[in-house]
Amino acid sequence: MKEETLESAAPQKKRRYIGEAVRRAEDIQLLDGRGGFLADLATPDTAEVCIVRSTHAHAIVHAIRKERALASPGVIAVLTANDLDFVDDKLPCVDMIPGTLDVRHRIIARDRVRYAGQAVALVVAANRYLAEDAAALVEIDYEVLPAVLDHKAAIEPGASLLYPELGTNVVYQVRQRDGNPDFVPEQGDIVLRKRFEFHRQTAVPLESRGVIAKVIDNGERLHVGSCTQLPQVLRATIVNALGLDPRQVRVTAPRLGGGFGCKEMVYPEELLLPVVARKLNRPVRWLEDRRESFAATTHAREETIDAELVVTKDGEATGLRLRGCCSIGAAFGFVGNTPITAMGAMVRGPYAIPNLDSDLCSVVTNKTPLNVLRGAGAPQATIVIERLLDEAARILKIDRAEIRRRNLIQPDELPLDRGATEFAGAYHVIYDEADYPRCLEEALCVANYKTFESERRVALESGKLLGLGITMYVEITAVGPYETSRVALRTDGSVLLYSSILPVGQGSETTQRQCIAEELGIEIDQVSVRQGDTDEVPDGIGTFASRGAAAGGAAGRTAARALVQQILEAFAAEFSCDPAALRWEGGGIIVPDSSEFIALAEVPGKLAQLRGTSDLVAFEAKSRIEIPKPSFSYATHIAIVEIDPETGRISIPRYVVTHDCGRIINPMLVDGQIVGGAVQGIGEVLRENLVYSPDGNLQTCAMMDYVLPGVSDAPREFIITHMETPTGFNPFGVRGVGEGGTIGAFGAMACAVADALRDYEIGVEGSGPFTPSWVLEVLNRPQTNATATNGS
Amino acid sequence: MIQTGGEYDFSCWEGSDEPRAELEVTVNGKRIQTAVPVRLLLSDFLRDHLGLTALKVSCGEGACGTCTVIIDGEAARSCTLLAVQTDGSEIVTLEGLNHGADSNNLRRLFQEHHALQCGYCTPGWLISAHCMIERRIDPHSDEAGGYLSGHLCRCTGYKNICSAIHEALLLANTAAAGEKE
Repeated sequence: MKEETLESAAPQKKRRYIGEAVRRAEDIQLLDGRGGFLADLATPDTAEVCIVRSTHAHAIVHAIRKERALASPGVIAVLTANDLDFVDDKLPCVDMIPGTLDVRHRIIARDRVRYAGQAVALVVAANRYLAEDAAALVEIDYEVLPAVLDHKAAIEPGASLLYPELGTNVVYQVRQRDGNPDFVPEQGDIVLRKRFEFHRQTAVPLESRGVIAKVIDNGERLHVGSCTQLPQVLRATIVNALGLDPRQVRVTAPRLGGGFGCKEMVYPEELLLPVVARKLNRPVRWLEDRRESFAATTHAREETIDAELVVTKDGEATGLRLRGCCSIGAAFGFVGNTPITAMGAMVRGPYAIPNLDSDLCSVVTNKTPLNVLRGAGAPQATIVIERLLDEAARILKIDRAEIRRRNLIQPDELPLDRGATEFAGAYHVIYDEADYPRCLEEALCVANYKTFESERRVALESGKLLGLGITMYVEITAVGPYETSRVALRTDGSVLLYSSILPVGQGSETTQRQCIAEELGIEIDQVSVRQGDTDEVPDGIGTFASRGAAAGGAAGRTAARALVQQILEAFAAEFSCDPAALRWEGGGIIVPDSSEFIALAEVPGKLAQLRGTSDLVAFEAKSRIEIPKPSFSYATHIAIVEIDPETGRISIPRYVVTHDCGRIINPMLVDGQIVGGAVQGIGEVLRENLVYSPDGNLQTCAMMDYVLPGVSDAPREFIITHMETPTGFNPFGVRGVGEGGTIGAFGAMACAVADALRDYEIGVEGSGPFTPSWVLEVLNRPQTNATATNGS
Repeated sequence: MIQTGGEYDFSCWEGSDEPRAELEVTVNGKRIQTAVPVRLLLSDFLRDHLGLTALKVSCGEGACGTCTVIIDGEAARSCTLLAVQTDGSEIVTLEGLNHGADSNNLRRLFQEHHALQCGYCTPGWLISAHCMIERRIDPHSDEAGGYLSGHLCRCTGYKNICSAIHEALLLANTAAAGEKE
């Protein structure tokens, strides 16, 4: 039986887009090579900028001589800090939590450089070739100072100081506690102690950064195009730095060729180019080349964590203690302290572990500033907790899955306040609805966990070492504090969404169109999206922290509801009835006591007709939703790795993810995020590594040296299963999905590699990287009798 | 700078006594004769001076494959070649690929398999996939692996790209087998 027989006026076809694998409309342009990335934009009469960067990690700048550079062909200007005026030359840091020492990044070095790659001067020339020629002729007198490269040494007394006026290299300390932080082991407990080293990495979006700046509107305004995840924040920073009125600045962010967090930053070039465009009164462009990208785009992950886990003889983990420090580089990134606050806040994942005592600090070093990278501090956290649980299981002779079962938070214990505050400066971590035990069991089943040991024995016969790693995590997503949206019904009957969520590859155009089409009950083709222009969306938070679909989607749907309400009120006024008497269904208005149905596209004309005018009527509704509590996604990752002892190469025959991101908007895109995120994480632990020379110059500044995962590194079989537990913390039940793949891959891979090498002493724990040469070195060590090792 | 009209223009080199050399190439079927700065990279010539921006520059050293174009029938990196090195060659970029059945199938399959996210690497993959189809390469062969391993993607994790290209090859190879019968 049809439910809608009474509403026969409405179209019978039920519109349903949420949950559908809707193909991406944005693919069409991208597949035609018309992606419209920043470097693709036509820029006639635009001069090119080349940044002169510090060649020393730590030095005093005594003099800069630019005469030879100025005489070079095609040069328009050579500028240093002395030529450029800023009202405020500090770049924003969003997590400068109270108690943090101010080491915000300065736009351009004045008298001291603190990392190799820091901007010291810039050359403007007719093209990039000529600009580079001249940049090589800028002469800088440096007085080289000792470089502080090792964060552990940086906190020792007598260490050289990056900021002598602060008297310390420790710029932030965070203590996160839950339960009884003074816990001690009880009779019969075991205590595991491990040091974890996490190596320095970087995002390497295939599109590096770029900025175009020009003066527009007869010199009244500035237009800045930038590869940024944060156009609204950038606009505010430009306004501040240049002392302008907000109306004088328009920032546009075109489609991004990947971001992964490194474009969640306001960079020096984004302030330098606008000031130069104004000073020279001509358009200027800077495109980052790959070499400078490695040194000048933010890094991530580097930290050392000493962990202590107390476990009862039955395998119940009762207390976790962390001490450690993070090498944040020479100054704050936009997100400087979150790597350590995320570690303390999220390290226990879905495991109860009632007592937490985490005391971590951010340390400045003469390296490129640290920022978030897909997963923030959470990927490292999975390695800490999962390796400790594996070790406890080995010592207590408890099955690895079983020890996890015994520690999981149960569904009826949720929501649960996890105590550890200070995360991202504001959030109290309160887990929402979830079923962690089911998430574990489902993944174990799909991964053939029960028969893995026999699979391993078979592989051993052909000389291959198999290893299995289990990781579970809980990921903070959809962070606030708020998000805005604007939905317009235009006079031609089409719907336009203005969104502050940017296209970075995640498919936000499509998911947001799905949300609006679902909410209005119309065809998705009727909805288009505009993103990334601060003239159109002056206020908004932006695209990071797995928040686009949940926060942006909710804001869009809320605006769409407000749009419907406006339309109903307008018609009610014409019909002289209560708006509540009109119903919105099937993509239009059902007029009571008549067979009339007014489809959304007909609204502008119908309303004009009712009003007896020829002026078609447009509508526009805005929303601003507050997001007081983030929601949490979670998953189980199981990696099965295979080591070839001949070559030391690690490959991945099978990788399993059981994932819960709440209500799924588009399963195709969710799976795409999970696989892509996992392979990024796999690459980070197998290959990627930023290496500095002893004097502090980056040695890995090309893709030939900093090796990204390729086709042959991807798992040969990748299986994803979904749970779909709506969260009560989001009005539409949606949790975020962008980062989880990377988070889980860290723990799963580290555990799987350790398991494959179970008969060997693997040495220092952490993120590796587990390169072939590392594997061969481990295999050449004398075999241990693994069961005899005492971890306490 | 990127020219607006797609016409080549070297005004941004004016005022420098940059050594130049004569270059005669065919790009997407159009014959081009001009004197280019000797050190001008092919990728910059195509993007900045001809406005053919489908190809992307990412690593600048031939490691990532985003700048791939077809030179004399074979996929090649445009970021590690000087424009003058291609004198006498025939160059095809993504803009010049005909919208024939193979090409359209490839695009459709990339969309259906969700084989692109940010899309920055996509033009490079399409060029190589096009060459693979032209050569009727067996998707399971080492040669296919060779083509695929020449490209990096930072978003997708490769799974969907490989399945899209495999299907495109199977379709093309089946169609070719059908024509023979």
